[in-house]
Amino acid sequence: MIYLDNAATTLKKPPQVAEAVLRALQTLGNSSRGTHEGALDAAHTVYGARVKIAKFFGCARADHVIFTSNITESLNIALCGLLRPGDHAISTDLEHNSVLRPLYRLETERGIAVDFVPADRQGCVNYADFERLMRPNTRLIVCTHASNLTGNMVDIRRISDIARAHGALLVVDAAQTAGTRPVDMEALGADVLCFTGHKGLMGPQGTGGLCIREGVEITPFKVGGTGVQTYSKTQPEQYPTRLEAGTLNGHGIAGLSAAIDYLNEVGLDAVQAREAALTRRFYEGARTIDGVTVYGDFCGDRAAIVALNIRGCDSGSVSDALSQDYGIATRPGAHCAPLLHEALGTKAQGAVRFSFSWFTTEDEIDAALYALRELSQNNG
Amino acid sequence: MDPAELNYYILFYNYTQGLALHELLRSEGLNARIAPTPRSIQGELSCGMSLLVREADIAAIKACIERHHAEHHSIVELPCQINPNRGKFC
Repeated sequence: MIYLDNAATTLKKPPQVAEAVLRALQTLGNSSRGTHEGALDAAHTVYGARVKIAKFFGCARADHVIFTSNITESLNIALCGLLRPGDHAISTDLEHNSVLRPLYRLETERGIAVDFVPADRQGCVNYADFERLMRPNTRLIVCTHASNLTGNMVDIRRISDIARAHGALLVVDAAQTAGTRPVDMEALGADVLCFTGHKGLMGPQGTGGLCIREGVEITPFKVGGTGVQTYSKTQPEQYPTRLEAGTLNGHGIAGLSAAIDYLNEVGLDAVQAREAALTRRFYEGARTIDGVTVYGDFCGDRAAIVALNIRGCDSGSVSDALSQDYGIATRPGAHCAPLLHEALGTKAQGAVRFSFSWFTTEDEIDAALYALRELSQNNG
Repeated sequence: MDPAELNYYILFYNYTQGLALHELLRSEGLNARIAPTPRSIQGELSCGMSLLVREADIAAIKACIERHHAEHHSIVELPCQINPNRGKFC
C-alpha cells in the first residue's frame, strides 16, 4: 500500500515508538498511583514526556502540559473550560468539527455567541475580518494552524496580535502542524496549544494534549480520580492534575515520548523541508493533469496536504479506484471540514485528499501522479 | 540510622510537583527518596507521594527549594515509624 493519508493519521511510525509501547505494556504500573517500582516507572515516563513536550512546543512550564486521548478532547477541554455564558468567540471557516461542534454546542447550551471568519475560494482568510468581528465580550479566538483540507497555513502570530490587543485569548489547533515543523507557542503567541500524538508527531493513537500558558485558567471538563487529594470533594486545582481525571494512557505516552525523541534526532527543520519538497513535487505534477482541479493556496508555506478532484467525479469513487486499482490510500469526502467545503464549492462532490509524511518517498508521489493521470484520461 | 532520628517528608499537591523537585534535588546532588506519604500527615490536599529526606540533608534541601521557588505543599517531620534496625529475613 502507498499510504497518502497522513493528515488522518501517520501509519508509518519510527520503530522506536512500537518498542517503547511494548516495553511500557510490560513494565508500567499506574502513574500517580502509589510509589512502588511499577507506579514510579509510569510516573517517571509521564513526567519525562511532559518535560519533553513542554520544550518541544515552547511551553514555559512542564506542569502546564496536559495529556488527553486526542486533540478533539484537548479542544473540548479548552473551549468548554474557557467559554462562559455571555462570552463571544471567533473562529474560522477552516476549522475541523473538533472545533465547530464544541462551539455549536456551547452556543446552544451556554448562550455564547460565535462568529466565523469566512474563507475565500482558495480557502484563505482575510485577517482584517478578525479585527472586524471583535466585540467587547470576545473571550477567545480559536483557529487552526493549518487547514486539514487544503493544507493552507494560517498566520497565527498575526491573529495573536489582534487577540492580545483586545484582551482575548488565542486557542490554536495544531493537529496538522505538530511534529511537521517547529511549533513554538510563545513565538506563535498562543495561550493554549492543542496537539494530537498520532499524526505528524508519529506517536500512537489515543495520545494528545494541550499546552497552557501560565495564567490561563481552564475549568475542568471532567472530574474524578486523580490519585491525589482523595478526601477533597473537588478536583485538585493544580495543573496538570486539574485536567487529567482518570488513568492516563501511560503506554501511549511512552510511545509518544519515543516519537518526540525521534523527531528531535532527525530535526524538525529537516522534516518540514522534506514534506514541503514532496508536496511541491505532487502539486506541480497534479496541477498540469488535464481535468484535475487542485484546491488551496500554493504560493507560500503550507502543510503537506493536497486536495483535488477529477472533473465532476465523485471523490469517493476516485479514492476507491486509487485504492482498489493502484493500492494508494487517500481520504475522500468532507474531511470533517463542512464550512471550508462550502467555501470551496465542493460540498456535493467532496474532494480527494493526499497527505504526505516524513516517510513518504518520491517514488510514491510519482506513482500517485501516474494513477491520477490514468484515471483522468479514462474519465474524460 | 538512629531510630530516634526524625524523617522529613516533603509533601506535594500532585506527582508532577514531586517528580520535578526530585529531579532538581538529584541534579544538585541532594538525597531524597520517593516514598508513600504516611496517612497521618497527608491531610486532604497533598498527594500520596512524598520525598523522604534525612535530617542531615534537610537544611540544604530547604535552601534548594527556596532558591528555585520549587512548588510543594509542605515539609513535615515525623519520627521514624518502622525500626530501621529490625531483623530482616529477605
